[in-house]
Amino acid sequence: MTEESLAASQAIPSVKAGRRTFALLKAFAAIAAVCVLPLVMPINIATEILIYGMFAMATNLLIGTAGLFSFGQAAFFGVGGYAAGYFLAHGWTSLPLVLFMAFASGGLLAAMIGGLIIRRLGIYFMMLTFAFNQLVYYVIYSWHSVTGGEDGLAGIRRPVLDLPLIGSFSFDDNRSLYGLVCVLFLLSIGVLARLVQSPFGLVLAAARQNSRRTISLGYHVPALQLAAYVIAGAVSGVAGALFGMLYRIMPIDSVHWAASAYVVFMVVIGGQRSMLGPVIGAAVFIWLQGLFSLAWTRWPLLLGLFVIIIMTYLPQGLVGLASQRWMRAIKRGARV
Amino acid sequence: MLWLVSAQLVNGIAIGMIYALMSFGLSIIKGLLNIPNFAHGALYALGAYICYSAVSMGLPFALGLLAAFAGAALAGWALQRFAIQPASKSGYLAQLVTLFGAALVIEQMLLIGWGTIGLSYSPPPLLRGAVNLGFTVVPKYIAFASVFSALVIVSVWLLIERTKFGAYLRAGIERPDTTRALGINVDLLLGVGMMMGAGLAGLAGGLALPLVGATSTMGGDMLGIAFVVLVIGGLGSLYGSVAAGVLVGVVQSLTAIAAPAASTAIIYAAMIGILLFRPQGLFGER
Repeated sequence: MTEESLAASQAIPSVKAGRRTFALLKAFAAIAAVCVLPLVMPINIATEILIYGMFAMATNLLIGTAGLFSFGQAAFFGVGGYAAGYFLAHGWTSLPLVLFMAFASGGLLAAMIGGLIIRRLGIYFMMLTFAFNQLVYYVIYSWHSVTGGEDGLAGIRRPVLDLPLIGSFSFDDNRSLYGLVCVLFLLSIGVLARLVQSPFGLVLAAARQNSRRTISLGYHVPALQLAAYVIAGAVSGVAGALFGMLYRIMPIDSVHWAASAYVVFMVVIGGQRSMLGPVIGAAVFIWLQGLFSLAWTRWPLLLGLFVIIIMTYLPQGLVGLASQRWMRAIKRGARV
Repeated sequence: MLWLVSAQLVNGIAIGMIYALMSFGLSIIKGLLNIPNFAHGALYALGAYICYSAVSMGLPFALGLLAAFAGAALAGWALQRFAIQPASKSGYLAQLVTLFGAALVIEQMLLIGWGTIGLSYSPPPLLRGAVNLGFTVVPKYIAFASVFSALVIVSVWLLIERTKFGAYLRAGIERPDTTRALGINVDLLLGVGMMMGAGLAGLAGGLALPLVGATSTMGGDMLGIAFVVLVIGGLGSLYGSVAAGVLVGVVQSLTAIAAPAASTAIIYAAMIGILLFRPQGLFGER
């Protein structure tokens, strides 16, 4: 054994420990960030950013990791929101129940649609996700007695958490709802980050780069992609449920194809190669949306222009740009 | 009953021809640029609004249709030049997202230009009224729309299959790299192809104006249907979309007799059926 490789083998435990410290640091940074967020902006906006952050992270599991360009994720966000909202509006306010309903309905719908389309590739897959989004929109739009149709599902109440011994806890206050959203947001960031680094995530990434080779290595790629699709749908469903709780209404716009486009914007604006990217994209998007909609009723025009400009000049997204700058600075430092 | 069925059949063919125009354009763009044109619906709406403005300025309806084609084609060229081409360096997803952004921009511009209230227009005097065929009555405009769309599709078909330009276009669809190596300006070809596809969408919008009016949401609805038509027809074939468009229009209109509420649901059901039993589409090859 040469000295170098000896040194390398001894370095491994410390590298591992370093990685663990780094992961811990990241977790603390995330917790600190969600604690600071409501101090610097209205709590509604902060809540919405975290909700859309969850939605965008789930979408990025498909787009960034698996390379499945889904343009119909609003269907799952909407169905989760409508399912939870229906229960909340009809007197079933138990928190675990409504969260489960949102998770299950989003996941189930994704399993049904995904089962039909997951083997279709490329353009075909994209068009199908869009078409199924339209189908779900159309069903919700027409099923007036349950969904409220064009007016959206109104009268959604905030859930109640019944804890044994401690008593029941309601989320009527916006700060307590923010706490709930924080917990679910951090939970999903943790779970999704683990998934991306797990063998499951690695196989998905391999299939993104070369699907045929990954299949020939013996991985059952479509089944794994379907699993990713279902997970993304379920998490999006929970995000939708939280959105309904926040504004006490589930608007029909939330299932519109434009909403699917918006979440893809968030992913692309932020950057697809990290967990943080989509969240930052969501924050920028929600912030811009608020700003533009105050300035002009035709704000989607400005949003569209913004997206075109970003795509032309900053294709790697904001996080991509930051890390590029960072790497360049490090290289420059190394040279000196 | 026969009366009703044949009337709906004729209706369905007219609507189907408009679907066919839409999906044919989508199919050309998909073939050349290898992207699903998410702005296709917005271009369709643009065509309807342009046609409305042209006829309300006193121009004849034929010029309105021409303006709808030209306006949408111009928008398609601008889209290719200023949105898709710059984004093409940044990868596939960037192009798609750009198209989504462009669709938003176009739809909002329509709202700025023409207001939020839907517009309606009745066909020119020559095409008003109906022809009695004995067993059924055919509104003149419905007949005109069907025949006119068929003529347009046939002439585009001749252009693609029988001219030198069409040969370049087909070469560009099948082997873009080889075509480029032969010294053919593929970028120019892409621009022209995008103009053609977009123009067809605009023309479809103009033709649909007397039937459904012009509203800002018409684009998104139509885009969903056009995608379904393309899936049913088969993505691999340029002309499958034409047959599938007519088929979808007819099926939709006939369903409307039995269950009006289900007429939109039925085309999605048809799509799911196709996905299950013939995933390559009716006319596509594996």
